[in-house]
Amino acid sequence: MAATSMAAALAASLPAPQAAPTPSAPTYEAIPASMAKVIDIEAEIPITSVQLDAMVVSKIIKHAKEAPGSSAHGLLLGLDLDGTFEVSNSFPLPHHSNDEDDKSVKSVARYQGSMLRSLKEVQADDSVIGFYQGMALGSFFNQTLVDTQAIHQEKLRHGGIIIVHDISQTARGNASFRAFRLTRSFLDAYKRNNFSATSLIDHRLTFSAILEEVPLKIRTNALVSSFLSTLSEASVPPAAQTNPALATSSAAIPPSYSGLNLGTGNTPRNLELIVEALDNYRTEEGNLAYLQRQIAREKAKADAYVQKRKEENASRVAAGLAPLPEEDVSRLFKIPPEPSRLESLLLLGRIDAYGKSLEETASTGLVKMYAAKGNTGN
Amino acid sequence: MPLGPPSSAIYLQNAAPGFISTPGRTPTSVTVHPVALFSILDHYLRRNDAQDRVIGTLLGTRSENGEVEVRSAFAVLHSETAEQVAVDMDYHRTMYELHHRVNPKEVIVGWYSTGSNLNTYSALIQNFYSQETTPHQAIHLALNTGVEEGQQAGVKAFIGSPVGVNPKPENCVFVPIPCELRFSDAERSGLDLLTSSPSTPGSATFTNPASDLEVLERSLQQVSDMLDRVLAYVQSVLSGKVKGDAAVGRYLMDALGPSTEDLERGEFNSHLQDTLMVSYLANLVRSQAEVSSRLALVKAS
Repeated sequence: MAATSMAAALAASLPAPQAAPTPSAPTYEAIPASMAKVIDIEAEIPITSVQLDAMVVSKIIKHAKEAPGSSAHGLLLGLDLDGTFEVSNSFPLPHHSNDEDDKSVKSVARYQGSMLRSLKEVQADDSVIGFYQGMALGSFFNQTLVDTQAIHQEKLRHGGIIIVHDISQTARGNASFRAFRLTRSFLDAYKRNNFSATSLIDHRLTFSAILEEVPLKIRTNALVSSFLSTLSEASVPPAAQTNPALATSSAAIPPSYSGLNLGTGNTPRNLELIVEALDNYRTEEGNLAYLQRQIAREKAKADAYVQKRKEENASRVAAGLAPLPEEDVSRLFKIPPEPSRLESLLLLGRIDAYGKSLEETASTGLVKMYAAKGNTGN
Repeated sequence: MPLGPPSSAIYLQNAAPGFISTPGRTPTSVTVHPVALFSILDHYLRRNDAQDRVIGTLLGTRSENGEVEVRSAFAVLHSETAEQVAVDMDYHRTMYELHHRVNPKEVIVGWYSTGSNLNTYSALIQNFYSQETTPHQAIHLALNTGVEEGQQAGVKAFIGSPVGVNPKPENCVFVPIPCELRFSDAERSGLDLLTSSPSTPGSATFTNPASDLEVLERSLQQVSDMLDRVLAYVQSVLSGKVKGDAAVGRYLMDALGPSTEDLERGEFNSHLQDTLMVSYLANLVRSQAEVSSRLALVKAS
């Protein structure tokens, strides 16, 4: 790595060799080292980070806030450059209800197509590099997310990326954006559509191994940051100049202290969600155990049948008769396929996420309580 | 937060004959959400070399009292030459329909342009958008990006009104109306994220998702700094170095006066127990989930 970067630095310092292809024989020159990081046709440079533009941040927050529930879902546009996904634009997808599934899928595809065409006309980036998902209280594990990302990971360059935005955390004053993608082992299991117990063991899958997090950066381009800072300067109150003791921190935007709110309004909801998820998990486990027992029963039946046939044949041979043909057991006994454990895996992930967010609320609550108490004490 | 100096032009009332000014329909003020602002700036960054300014459509909602809320914006193709101006109306319609599918509540409220020169073309475009927004009046947002020398960045909002004995589309008076930036709590924290990046503009910062505790720590730090500043001020007043300001004193009284008497011992302890219980429960649930997922990996041998 050091060698290549040295070469790149050297090549950058030298005047770039003019690639002059002769018209008779088009020779494909190797990409000069200085450009190797920019031109990445085969998508060979692995993605190590994600960069979010200021506009995308505000667009996602707006959509997540306005969409009913935690259903905000949209596409991210941009490009990848030297191992970084640069997300420069995004647009929301219409909220589709579950009825007439086929039709809505088609109309979403049409919507997506015409939106991309329109954006291209005004020179915006028009290559899809992933999608974003709004969520509440850390619960973004679900089947659709995994399905969508699995499709993306097949089709898109570098497999695309998921940006997850937590509405409830943002409302508490901590805008939270995280980038994820599916891990290789999960994708492998998903492709085979095999989430039986043995497959899970082979792939060493737990809920924490489904998604891997990618570091995420926020970028404000020069124009936006200069604009914001100009606005902030303009809003310094005139009183501040006369009395320096009153000068507020000259942040454009007055600081917010929503993080200091003592209310714990989210906790009951969070607890409810945990209980709900636990109930679902229990039901799912019950189903799995039932199926497991059924499989065991059918297997035992089949084994008993085979055993019986063997004994019969042995007695027939002893009596000098021709043995009965060995029949195909699988045709006589329907052994159900082993159940998929994906659902229970995702439910566990959700429980964990709820637990984590509850933990965070509790810990900050504790700090805030003592802060308030310190006020009374003295 | 106001985006520009207050103007008294708002009191200019439109008295042109034949102009119906129904109360409640004339926009009296404009609030802009950061999404729209950032979209406009992004569009400006992506303009052609040949384009001096870019224009686009503003989407938002109107309220009864004449307040227009600009909630998002999209770019529209247009070309301006010395002889003519052309706006891609098909494009505008398509884009509006696309936006409308996601956000049915948002309607066309007006248009934006960058740069703050209002010319005949502005009047023509204003006329076009007025047709789109009938029966309401279209608003025009002139956003100065501040990249040209000697100009200050800022946003101004206008409504158009016809001028002359026979109103013609190319004649128009742009009457400024107040305009301010507005953000909800959620957008607020997003802006914090954007402005907290270090002073080198254009650079990107890694934001490892800060935990709530870190954010809380920062807030508490700020509060503590402010208390220190207030203390310094009060002490300098007491020692007679600075003349005390009665208004400031009252504000301080209001802010610091409310005692937390009701947070009595017993209540504090019971709340403490609740919080600790919740924390314990959360940890228990998480470890159970972890154990359960590990157990699934154990071969039933």
